[in-house]
Amino acid sequence: MRRPFRGFTAILYKEFLVVLRDPLTLFFMLFPPIVEMIAFGYALDTDVKHITTLVLDQDRTVESRQLIDQFVNTQTFKVVGEVQGVRELAEAIRRGKAYVGIQIPPTFTRDLRAGRTGRVQVLIDGSNSSIASSSLNTALNVGFRNAFLHLATALGVTAPPVEIRPQILYNPEMRSPNFFVPGVIGIVLQIATTFATAMSLVRERERGTLEQLMVSPLSRWGLMLGKLTPYLAIGMMMGAGLFAVMRWLFQVPIAGDVAGLMFATFLYVFCLLSLGLLISTKAQNQIQALQMTMIFILPSVFFSGFIFPRETMPKIFYAIGSVLPATYYIELERAIVLRGASLHDFWFNIVLLAAMGLGLFSFCALRFRQKLA
Amino acid sequence: MIECDRLTKRFGHFTAVDHVSFSVAKGSIFGFLGPNGSGKSTVIRMLCGLLEPSDGRAFIAGKDVAKQTEELKSNIGYMSQKFSLYDELTVHENLMFYGRLYGIHGNALSKRRDELVQLTHIEPYLQRRAALLSGGWRQRLAMACSLMHRPTVLFLDEPTAGIDPVARRELWDLLFEFSSSGMTLFVTTHYMDEAERCSHVGYIYMSKLVVCGEPDELKQMPLVRPPGTRRIEITCDHVTVGLQSLRHLSGVRTATVFGQSMHLLVDEGMSEETIRTELAKAGIHNADIRPIAPSLEDVFVALTTNRNGEKP
Repeated sequence: MRRPFRGFTAILYKEFLVVLRDPLTLFFMLFPPIVEMIAFGYALDTDVKHITTLVLDQDRTVESRQLIDQFVNTQTFKVVGEVQGVRELAEAIRRGKAYVGIQIPPTFTRDLRAGRTGRVQVLIDGSNSSIASSSLNTALNVGFRNAFLHLATALGVTAPPVEIRPQILYNPEMRSPNFFVPGVIGIVLQIATTFATAMSLVRERERGTLEQLMVSPLSRWGLMLGKLTPYLAIGMMMGAGLFAVMRWLFQVPIAGDVAGLMFATFLYVFCLLSLGLLISTKAQNQIQALQMTMIFILPSVFFSGFIFPRETMPKIFYAIGSVLPATYYIELERAIVLRGASLHDFWFNIVLLAAMGLGLFSFCALRFRQKLA
Repeated sequence: MIECDRLTKRFGHFTAVDHVSFSVAKGSIFGFLGPNGSGKSTVIRMLCGLLEPSDGRAFIAGKDVAKQTEELKSNIGYMSQKFSLYDELTVHENLMFYGRLYGIHGNALSKRRDELVQLTHIEPYLQRRAALLSGGWRQRLAMACSLMHRPTVLFLDEPTAGIDPVARRELWDLLFEFSSSGMTLFVTTHYMDEAERCSHVGYIYMSKLVVCGEPDELKQMPLVRPPGTRRIEITCDHVTVGLQSLRHLSGVRTATVFGQSMHLLVDEGMSEETIRTELAKAGIHNADIRPIAPSLEDVFVALTTNRNGEKP
């Protein structure tokens, strides 16, 4: 083949016309990702604050009230009511009225004043693990703090012997959108772009136009690149839109270089579009293409580190995550957006994404046979 | 121009095309006939380089269709069964796309487009989307698209399936025009009247090429016109009833229904009276009997009957 990209401009011309011809299709390509992102972004808020809490104060002293205030002041607990008995407390938690129950026994202040241990019971609903662990940590903290203050007063000490001074970098308020929204962008981009190219060749096959293309001198590289390019442009527009939503709706500041971020997005989108093309060379109809696309999307949601940290996954899932473009893109994206990292710091991810993209693209061009059987 | 030498295609255990050999001269209209599933489209697809032959070879303009596919592509045009067009694009855009696909650009492209628009009279629909064209116009557009690159051989796979009779006639007028300008046409069809208009016909039945030649030549075949027989056409009411009664009459070699009439191959000595008497027994009194020359359909019926070894 003397001209490896023969027919590229013809396909490009046609694809752009087809895409732009139908504003509705274009709208349905650009709009759902934004909606998905907003939905995902708000739904995935794991900030554990104001956990519903019931109080059983059998002591009713200044000390017991102070203790409850200390719980409330952490912002982790929100007292939603008082109960009169232990059974009522357990019952309320079982029925989901509250996640946490604080029981201060009648002997609390008496024991405290007599120099004995003042015991407080905290019941925690363990069914939601993140709420449970947050409650547990905060409750223990309140206990330690209280104990320390008592000891310090008794010993006449004013300053604590050891003090931890935490400084939270990059996301000082520890807002969960800052962590999740960039990941959501990675996933949403994958869904929208992979589908776009996965469908395009299959549609031509179903309609019979592919046969018409095959008898022409169009080269397979020209066909693939012509199919991919318009969607690359749309994918980049989509990416820019999603980052705008992230920046101004979710108020996640972009700490790093926007140009670098867009370059990474370009490589990622190229990678996904090539994956879509690969699917469309294999699938015989649109239903098959849809199912095959889902096969790639689900692991990206679960094993890319988008929600669950990959480090704690079983080896097999970690391995699956290692071959997904989403894994490397989300990691890179979070680094740039949140920590202001440069592409230089994450050259490995860049090289890998570029290699995956070129590899997938070449593979599907070579795999595509200009024959019917 | 087209040369097939024992061309064979097998799909697993099924042989779709079985040692088919024929040749088509430059500038002729070759009509390729046969029932559905007999292998017509498979032959076309092999000739266009879409399918690899399992056995045998085929050449177009001296080039091997399996090995020199890329070189052949700019010489051949292919109009598939479904008039595959891009529905979202207008008539104009479809033409421009196919032109560009074959590497035609700039002035040459718009000039060629104008030529084909004139030829097919599609001018009034230029800005209409292909999806909104009627069957006849879709097919004209599809043909114009397949001609943008001036192919020397044009393959048309059932170009007239599902279009109205007027459009059908107009298409054939166009085909004659192309053939007189030196283009070789390879057409598959179901219609016998179309077959009669071809300069050469080939008939494929159960994956095998049964016969190939000029229509008039085929009608003279001894199998079609055995010595001592003649063909008659009988037009009457209740054709099927009549057929049943005549079929078993001695002296009737074959009897086939053709629409509102039946065609009979009978012994030379058989009189009209014998037939009328037999029909009257079946309650048919208004039969119109006249001698006819064999049609191509008679030829194919005779040939396939012979192959199946049974009396129809």
